[in-house]
Amino acid sequence: MQSLYVEGNSRLHLISARVKLIVLAVLGIALFATANIALLGFAVVATGAVYFGIGMPVRAALARLKPILLTILIVAVFSLAFNPWHGAVVALLRLTALMLFAASVTATTTIAAFMDEITLAARPLERLGLVRADDVGLAVGLVVRFVPEIIGRYHAIAEAHHARGLKVRPATVLVPLIILTLKDADNIAAAIDARGIRRHVN
Amino acid sequence: MSTRDLVLSALFAAIIVALGILPPITLGFIPVPITAQSLGVMMAGVVLGAQRGTVAVLIVLVLVAIGLPVLSGGRGGLAAFAAPTTGFLIGWVFAAFTTGYISERLVKHGQAAGMQLTGFFFAAMMGGIVVLYAFGIVYLAFAAQIGLKAAFTGSMAFIPGDVIKAFVAALVGRAVMAGYPLLPVKS
Amino acid sequence: MNIRFESAGVSYGSRTALQPLTLELTEKRIAIIGLNGSGKTTFARLINGLTKPTTGRVIVNGRDTSDEKAALGDVGFIFQSPQNQIILPVVRDDIAFGLKSRGLAKAAIEARVAEVLDRFNAGHLAERRAHELSGGELQMAALCSVLATGPDILILDEPTNQLDLRNRGLVQGLIESLHESAIVITHDLELISDYPRVLVFHQGQLAADAPAAEAIARYRELAA
Repeated sequence: MQSLYVEGNSRLHLISARVKLIVLAVLGIALFATANIALLGFAVVATGAVYFGIGMPVRAALARLKPILLTILIVAVFSLAFNPWHGAVVALLRLTALMLFAASVTATTTIAAFMDEITLAARPLERLGLVRADDVGLAVGLVVRFVPEIIGRYHAIAEAHHARGLKVRPATVLVPLIILTLKDADNIAAAIDARGIRRHVN
Repeated sequence: MSTRDLVLSALFAAIIVALGILPPITLGFIPVPITAQSLGVMMAGVVLGAQRGTVAVLIVLVLVAIGLPVLSGGRGGLAAFAAPTTGFLIGWVFAAFTTGYISERLVKHGQAAGMQLTGFFFAAMMGGIVVLYAFGIVYLAFAAQIGLKAAFTGSMAFIPGDVIKAFVAALVGRAVMAGYPLLPVKS
Repeated sequence: MNIRFESAGVSYGSRTALQPLTLELTEKRIAIIGLNGSGKTTFARLINGLTKPTTGRVIVNGRDTSDEKAALGDVGFIFQSPQNQIILPVVRDDIAFGLKSRGLAKAAIEARVAEVLDRFNAGHLAERRAHELSGGELQMAALCSVLATGPDILILDEPTNQLDLRNRGLVQGLIESLHESAIVITHDLELISDYPRVLVFHQGQLAADAPAAEAIARYRELAA
């Protein structure tokens, strides 16, 4: 699975993940604190400049935003039918600016950097007994590890269907897919425990 | 959380991710393909129960946040949380919890298949529709500034599809319970 | 290595998986054979503490397996199914992960990973994705991951079970080259045909405890 991180050495690449996340949070609050169209318009231009200044080819940069931008537009248009146009424009600008900066942070921050921040953020929760910080990294790794196996398993099940002249239907495919996948859990857990991976380090 | 529970949750998160990558599956009687990822969330609840189902969905959200394109259509990254539909994304967590919580208490091993099906269907509806839409609509109304009425009206179009998904989730829940029961049973 | 079973047995309710037995293991190569359900896997899992004895105790290198932290560090376990042992997408990360939870510094981890890959000439696997590897390559990667933490005893549960002929040969060679003590559970009698000590399990009991030739003969009698 390809991550959304894009290699480069723009200014944003050099800034730490933590700072970028804090700025994103502050930006989010600021954007919702104002309904001034001029200010919001400026925010869109500014965040747009940041996003397109990262170094991604324009086509790829736009392609990433397409689905989300589409949703923002559709909702804005829909909103016009119910509300005065001012609200629709404010929402459009707000969400677009937020989206642009969020996408900028994602494109300039590696997965490893994000994981470090999450693990750090989880440590206080660890004291509350809610979660083990290292488990987050393990869980993420497990998912990326086994998604291809699950996809392979789906194709095998679909093939078995075709061989028997059956149409692929949710119930007949999803049930074996889920059961076969979850049956592996015991073995995987045993392998993890045998390696002492989840013992607390002193 | 035991290692086994952690692995079960992670594997189900992987299933939810896979459902976003695989082509949508068609139901026999309706020519419209079911986009399976939100179905995956309902299934997490009926198969794994409240705690593990919720953890599975949380893991998916972490994957999105760190920049993996795991949402259907290859969406991912922090931008996915800036959409007007973000309420539905956050709502997944509470939907899985609700579906799991109700399933654990309503569905028992000895029950007739029909009863189990009904229990799972109710659980999937409460979680996957009532709770999910509550979060989705409220967020849509305020963050996208369209007001509750518009948000509500706009979201109604998706309900029939989700009712079908709830039914599929119930079928799957019952079949998995018969084949490889994992749902913790609580009173 | 010294493994002692002191009247150690395992029962689940009315079902006895392993009758209490007393013995001492010190050999470098030990094989455990028997029919499915004979108790051989239960026996092996007692050694690394995955299963705790319901009666008696198991002492590994002087430490009781009930004391979790102690026993696990000395004993590595290779499971039957190769693909469920590599738990991270890229082999190198999987090997490193086991070391991370032991609190080693980054540089030390990288050194150990390189060392163990080198040992098995598995450098070419380091950057590969697990789901693209063959069964034998997965077992090799699993060996690297498990041995990276330096256990001096390695238990292998039917390591060649799911492998084709070529991969089987590969794994056999790997096991032969180990300087650690190896305890191999297997149906593959050829794999262990020259082992100095072979334990034969049958219906939850130890049916034979002898060098390979004699033990295998006894096993054939029981399996007939």
